[in-house]
Formats: sequence, structure tokens, C-alpha cells
Amino acid sequence: MLKNKRQQQKNLTRKHLLEIAIKQFGETGILATRTADIAKHANVSHGTVFAHFSTQEDLLTAAVEEFGSQITQRLHELIDTNSSLSKILDAHITGLIEFEPFYTRLIIERRLLPANVTNTYVMIQSTISFHIGIAAQKELDQGIVRKLPVHLLYNTWIGLIHYYITNGDLFCSSGSVLKRYRHELLQHYIDLITI
Amino acid sequence: MKQCIACGMPMKNPEDFAMGDSAKEYCRYCSRPDGTMQSYDEKLNSLTTFIIKTQGLEEKAANLAAKSMMTKLPAWKRQSPI
Ligand SMILES: [Zn+2]
Repeated sequence: MLKNKRQQQKNLTRKHLLEIAIKQFGETGILATRTADIAKHANVSHGTVFAHFSTQEDLLTAAVEEFGSQITQRLHELIDTNSSLSKILDAHITGLIEFEPFYTRLIIERRLLPANVTNTYVMIQSTISFHIGIAAQKELDQGIVRKLPVHLLYNTWIGLIHYYITNGDLFCSSGSVLKRYRHELLQHYIDLITI
Repeated sequence: MKQCIACGMPMKNPEDFAMGDSAKEYCRYCSRPDGTMQSYDEKLNSLTTFIIKTQGLEEKAANLAAKSMMTKLPAWKRQSPI
């Protein structure tokens, strides 16, 4: 019993640290954030951070994984309930909005980050693309959408989104660029791929 | 929910499992036609192909990401060479 409780507490602290880390990475940038800042904002000692994540790279990778599992879990559930392609794409944007500051830093700084982060990022993008591809295939069979290779179907979509995110300062000087343009981008993309 | 030990996919419905058998530890994408689990090399190959198909990346990057992912999965933890 006691052991269970301790494990539970440990999981909670880990989750809390990840949340704070994702927030800090988003606010100050991934490379510019120090573990000491994360500890301070999480109200724990610097040592506590390292008790949960042996290196700063581990913490960052776990943060990226946390983002990935939340977004892909949602898409997975939608596929399970036979949602339309447009619903899946909309959920993708909603998921990105929840992590927008962090995701923005991630795609801007990615090439300067450890290889492990890139590898995790690649798997997340493939999983998202896979789910979008399943929904697209159904609508392709119904003659609704154009026949496009899965990678181009995805790259056209994510390319559009990433263009707005990486240039967010030019499209939307304050607040969320995705919130502001989500409907326009989604509608445009659906128009592009619809027969 | 169970997760496939070989690729990490969440397995909820019986058809997600190898041969539709929810007692199995691995998913339908990680099994061979006879129901046995794919080898390390087979899985590395199919994951690499999966990444290329879904994103169009070049093989080198796709292979690295696939290898890196496999090191984290229970089925391959010990044998991943990177
Ligand atoms: Zn699997």
C-alpha cells in the first residue's frame, strides 16, 4: 500500500515536471531553458528534476513524447469511431493548439536539438500521417478526395500548418496563430484535396 | 490498455492483436502471416518503410528514427545495437 502511494506520488511529480518543462520550453525556448529554471517554476529542488530525468536530454525527449502521445491518442480514438477526414484534421489542429508554444519552439529549434529528439519527432509525425491517411483512404474509396500518395497528402497539410507556425510573428503578432487561421487553413486544404 | 511490445501501438479491440488473439503481446502489424512475431530486422524494415510511406523521408533518416524507436520497446530493448 505504502509503496503504491509512493509510486503514485512519484508519477504525479513526474507529470508535473513535464507540464512545467513544456511550458518553460514554450516560453523561453528549448535551448535557452535550463533545468534549474524548470525546477524553480515547479517548486522542487534541482536534484528532484534529475531524480526523474537523468539528463536534460531525457527530460526534453519525455516532453516531446508526452506531446506525441496526447495528440496521437486523440486521433486514434477518432479513427476508432469512424470520424471524417475533416474531423481528424480539426482534432490535429486542436491538439497542436494545446501545445502551440512548445511545438513552435520544437519545429524552429529542432535541427539544433539532440538526435533522439528528432527521432521521436519523426515517429510522431508518421503516426499522425498514418491516422490522417486512414481517414483519407475511406473518403478516397467513396470518391470524395483525390488520389494522392500518403506522404504528399500529409506533407501538404503539415507544410501549410508549419508555414504559419514558424512565421507566426508575421501572421499574428499576439496570441495563437493556429486559433486565428485554423478554419481558413482547414477549409483551404479540404478544397485542395476534394474532387 | 495493452500496448504492442514490438511497436508500441495501443491494442484495444481483438482485431488489433496478432491473429485477433487478445492474449497476444504484439499487434497485427508486428506478426507474420503464420501469427509469430516478426524478427528485429523484419520490424526495422517495416518501420522504416512505414516512415517513408507516411512522410516521404529519405531512407537514412527513416532508418535512424525506426532504430531509435525500437530501443524503447520491450521486445527489442536488449538487442538494439545503437
Ligand atoms: Zn506492433
